This record gives sequence, C-alpha cells and structure tokens, in this order.
Amino acid sequence: MLLKDLIFDLCDIPAPSGFEERAFSRASELLSPFVDEIRTDAMGNLIAVKRCGRENAKRLLLDAHMDEIGMIVTDIDKSGFLRFSSLGGIDPRMLPAREVKLLTEPPLRGIIDTMPPHALKAEDMDKSIDAKKLFIDVGLSAERARELVPLGTPAVFAGSAECFGENEICSKALDDRACVAIIIKIMEELSSRAPALDVYCLISTQEELGMRGAITGAFAVEPDYAVALDVTHAATPDSKKGETMDMGKGAAIGVGPNMSRRLSSMLLDIAKEKGISSQTEVMGGCTGTNGWVIQVSREGVLTALASLPVKYMHSPVETMDVRDAEAIIELIAELAVRLGKEDAR
Amino acid sequence: MLETLKTLCYLSGPSGYEDEVRDYILERVMPYVTDIQTDSMGNLIVSKKGRVTPARKVMLCAHMDEVGIIITGIDDDGYLRFDFLGGVDRRVVIGKRVYIGKNRIPGVIGIKAYHLVDKEEEKSVPKREDMYVDIGAASKAEAEETVRLGDYGVFDDSVYEFGDGFLKAKAIDDRVGCAAMIKLIEGELPCDCTFAFTVQEEVGTRGAKIAANRVCPEVAIVLESTTAADLPEVPEGKTICKLGSGIVVPFMDRGTLYSRRLYKAVTELADKNGIKWQTKHMIAGGTDASVLQRSGLGADTIAISAPVRNIHSPASIAKITDFEVMPSLTMLLLEAISKE
Repeated sequence: MLLKDLIFDLCDIPAPSGFEERAFSRASELLSPFVDEIRTDAMGNLIAVKRCGRENAKRLLLDAHMDEIGMIVTDIDKSGFLRFSSLGGIDPRMLPAREVKLLTEPPLRGIIDTMPPHALKAEDMDKSIDAKKLFIDVGLSAERARELVPLGTPAVFAGSAECFGENEICSKALDDRACVAIIIKIMEELSSRAPALDVYCLISTQEELGMRGAITGAFAVEPDYAVALDVTHAATPDSKKGETMDMGKGAAIGVGPNMSRRLSSMLLDIAKEKGISSQTEVMGGCTGTNGWVIQVSREGVLTALASLPVKYMHSPVETMDVRDAEAIIELIAELAVRLGKEDAR
Repeated sequence: MLETLKTLCYLSGPSGYEDEVRDYILERVMPYVTDIQTDSMGNLIVSKKGRVTPARKVMLCAHMDEVGIIITGIDDDGYLRFDFLGGVDRRVVIGKRVYIGKNRIPGVIGIKAYHLVDKEEEKSVPKREDMYVDIGAASKAEAEETVRLGDYGVFDDSVYEFGDGFLKAKAIDDRVGCAAMIKLIEGELPCDCTFAFTVQEEVGTRGAKIAANRVCPEVAIVLESTTAADLPEVPEGKTICKLGSGIVVPFMDRGTLYSRRLYKAVTELADKNGIKWQTKHMIAGGTDASVLQRSGLGADTIAISAPVRNIHSPASIAKITDFEVMPSLTMLLLEAISKE
C-alpha cells in the first residue's frame, strides 16, 4: 500500500486511549506480511517481531503509539445531553460546534453545541468556554441516551483525512498513526534488506494518558536499541520561533538526555551521508514521547527519537507533509541495517 | 422538502456569492413559475399564479446566503487572512475545515498545538485578525496559484440525520426557507404569489430591501430559521425556543414587531390544524422582515421560522418535525389571505 493510503487508512480508525482494539486489528493486518510473529499484552499493546535468524541477536525496538486523543462520556443530563471528559490533552477552544463520533455499537454521531452569543455577557464573548460547560448533543431524549450510550463510552473527532495539495495530509489522529504507517513501511523496506538483528515493533497503547502502554511493552521486548517514532510541533503563524520544527524540512532527529548520543549521531550521520532531509530537534528534558519511558526500561535502553513535524497537534485538523514521513522511513531503515552490521562484526 | 434542504445545504453561497444556490433554485422552480427576474444584487424573484388573485399582493421571502469567510490577505509564507461574511462567533471556527472559492480549495483555520498554549492564552479566544487559513501552500506565490483576494470560504459541508430525527448541516439558515418555498412553488397555490430568494441577508438584509422595492408587497411572509438555545448551560429565560417544540412564529425580534393580525392568524391556524408551534421567548435576532415591512408603503409582515441550534456555525442542528410543517402552515395562511 502507498504510504499516503496507509496513513488515510490508519487515521480513519476510531481508537482513543484505552479503546485501541480497532487500531490493533488493522495494524496487525497491515504488519503481518512483514513480521514473523504478532502478540499482545495486558495493556493491549501490539508487539511484533521480524527475526534475523541469528542466535542471541541484538534487538531493535521501533515504537509508535496507536491511540489518539478523544473524549469519554461521564454523565447524561436530564435533557439527554452528554457530559464528557477528555482522553488526552485537548484545547477546549476547539470544541464548540465540533462533530464527534461516539464509539457505541453501532457508532452514533454527536455534536458539541456552542453557547450562543445572546446567552453570554459581552465581556465573555472574548473568553473561551470552559470544557466543563460543554456537552455532546446526540439528538436523543435522556431515556434514549441512557439506553444507547452507557457511561464510559469513548468518542473521537469526526471527519476523514484530506489532501492539501500534493504532499500534505490533514486529518485527525496523525498523532501517532502516521508513525504507525511509517513503521509498517520501514518493516516492508527491511524485509528485502534483512538487517542482522531482530527488529521488534511496539504499536503501543495509552501514550496520550502518560506513555502507559510503552512501559510494559518495552519491558516485554527487553530491547538493546529503541527508536521512538512520534510527532513533533511544526511552525504555525501563532507559534513562537524556537519552540517548533518546520514541516516539509524532513525528519526531526532528537538530541538531548532522553536520547542515546551514539544513536543521535548515527542518525545525523546517515542523514548527511544519504542526503536524507532532516532537522535537529534539541530537547532538554522529557521529550513527551514513549522514548522517555523506554530509555529507562529494565536496565536501560539505548534510545533514539525520530519525529514527524505536525501542525495543530491534538486537533481534528493535524497536518503533515508526506515527504517528511518518507525521510523518516529511509533514515530508520538504514539505521537498522547499520546497527545490524555493527553487531554482526 | 428534507431532500431538497439537504441538497441546498451542500451548496456554497456566503453573502455576496449566492450564485450556486440561485442556479440550483432557478433550475428547480423554472417549470412552475410564470415570471422570473434577477436583479442587480442577485436576488431571484419568481411569480406563480394561484387559484385567485388576492386582494393584497403577497410576497414570500427566504434568503439564499449563509455566513462564511472572505479572504483579505495572503502572508509571505502562504497562510490566508480572512474576515467574516455575516455574524460568526469566532469561537466556533477554531480548528475547523473550510473550502475556499469556486474550486473548493480545502483549508483549515489553524490554531497552534495545545501543548504550546499557556494557561492565560487558553482562557481567551484568538482575535479574528490573528486567525489564519492554512491551505498547505508554502509561499504567497503558491497560494496565489489557487486563491485570490476576495475569494469566499464556506464551512465543512457534511449533511446528515442523527439521533431521533435531527438534521446536521451548515447553512440551514436559511436554506430551510428556500426549501419550503421550492415546495410551495411546486404545488398548487391558493392565490397568486411572488417568491423572493434574497441575497445578503447575513450582512444586513441588503437583498430584501431592493427585492421589496421591486415587488411592492402588501403582505410579506418571511420563511426563516432562528436561534434555539435549549442547552444545559443556558438559563431557562434565555433559551429563546426549543428543538422539538414545533415551528416558531415570532411576535417580535430585534428588527421587527410583526403584524399582530398575521401572528394571530398563523397561530390560530396552527392550533386549528394540529400543527405544533411555539413563539420566541426572548427578543433576539432579526430577519428580512425588517426591511420588507418598511419598504414602499409598507407591508403586513410575519415570519415562520425553524428553530436551529448552533445557527451560524458549521454544525447547525434542526429537528425535522419542527421545520417540515413550514410549507403546510404557510399554505394555510395563503388560503386565508386568498379569501380576504
């Protein structure tokens, strides 16, 4: 499948943190041609491996999380409106007049209503609406809503992916399904290049709630090396200079205490030698990615971070450049091959 | 009427750019009308003979335009700046998809990632002049290949039914009135009527003003939609009207004190014929009625409106049973007028 199609396919799946089953199934199907084995664990992670066949081969772990941000129904009011809490960080200012999909069986459509201007004081018009005052309208009476929408029902943003020009994709859930797609493409690439080490894929759960899935996933795999693949902030007109990368300028290679200096240097060298478009992302402390927990798994893991620049992260209109994803695929596939060569020596 | 409304809501027609809507309506009504006029601003005015010529000239009116955006600038790095066409609460456009111009270039009204927003910023809504549309152009030159200053933008146009008989769409205000008028035109009328599908209501009832001057109505019936705020966080006194409580017949809004005689006639007809109706419980909003009532020698004016939640937003909601009686209630009024 083409990378673009793969991203469209994966982003379309509704799978917020803690409710990743649908993403698990689809990612399993897509990965299976390129791996030897797929299993899961108590956290619902997808753990796949492509073995090189050598005994005591070193292990490289590629991680991307399958969960997306979402909402969860906490209460139903007397008129049938649903109160909700967020799953992961959502800017409440994006919620009024927002369409959502409730993951009931079958799914239900919902709309987060907005408080009309006449119901507000003039000075409140410039203020955002507190998320606690928002609710999902499912067009049902309280009785019917209680029947069809059990408390604890999750929801995701509605809307499908769309191309902006030739290279850009706008969608919900690019964070981090785009990187799940990247891992599938890396594994496809590696199936012909056969690196001399075992390559594990950890398609992890509950990242948005605090990197929870990767904790047990990395523990289970016990890797020697790991690459966390996640999204990073791309510059927008309203962001400050210095706190963002640039979309369209390639893979963002993480440098800082969360990353092994050796692996960061290897990635920077590969990018330079192969002319792969890349940019350096210096991060002083927590990278906010699964790399943070993987690095300190068991007795420690040499960890690298490759990030895809994305605008409007955690919104229904996250935007990316496919060329950046292609750069990451090339970069990490080459890293796997080189790590294999070093260890085979 | 529901299918017509869905089709109409898909069409792009922000104030000043109603062409697509007008073309569609014209095609639909052409076989049924005797006289077709379009004027300098783009109003579509058609007439149809009824069983009798009424004592007073009757005009029905619904506006074709919807709220939207207009492109006012292009940044060096390819982002588009915009202003609103009509009254849009800028809190409902953040992170929303838009489609620019006739070629429907997709874009989004961006906002930086939540991670980069500080506590104070989170409490405020970005100013309109700080907002931008991202169409994926890397430079001004690239943006200019597909977008020009003055191009319009419309919101995401998905239309669907959900819940127990609710409709979600953009532009229900006032395609619902347009759909009702099409339905009336397609049927037999009790009396001669002139129908005005007007432009630029959302920027100040501009189209209706000249349409009224052309038609010189003595009775004006405005088919509209109105804000419903029947929401949990809105105090009872401010709900205005409610979805599921029937069609709205207002006695007054900010633009018009409606004809008391027509108000009485319409509400009595509704009662007599078992049509569920409600009135507005707050003086809010305004319609083309404000100019129709006071054009020329003046007209006896009434409005019949559909209650709509999130009215000027990409995700307006209406209840089908509320608005589908709009043509039949209007018909009852026309019957009464034909007997005057």
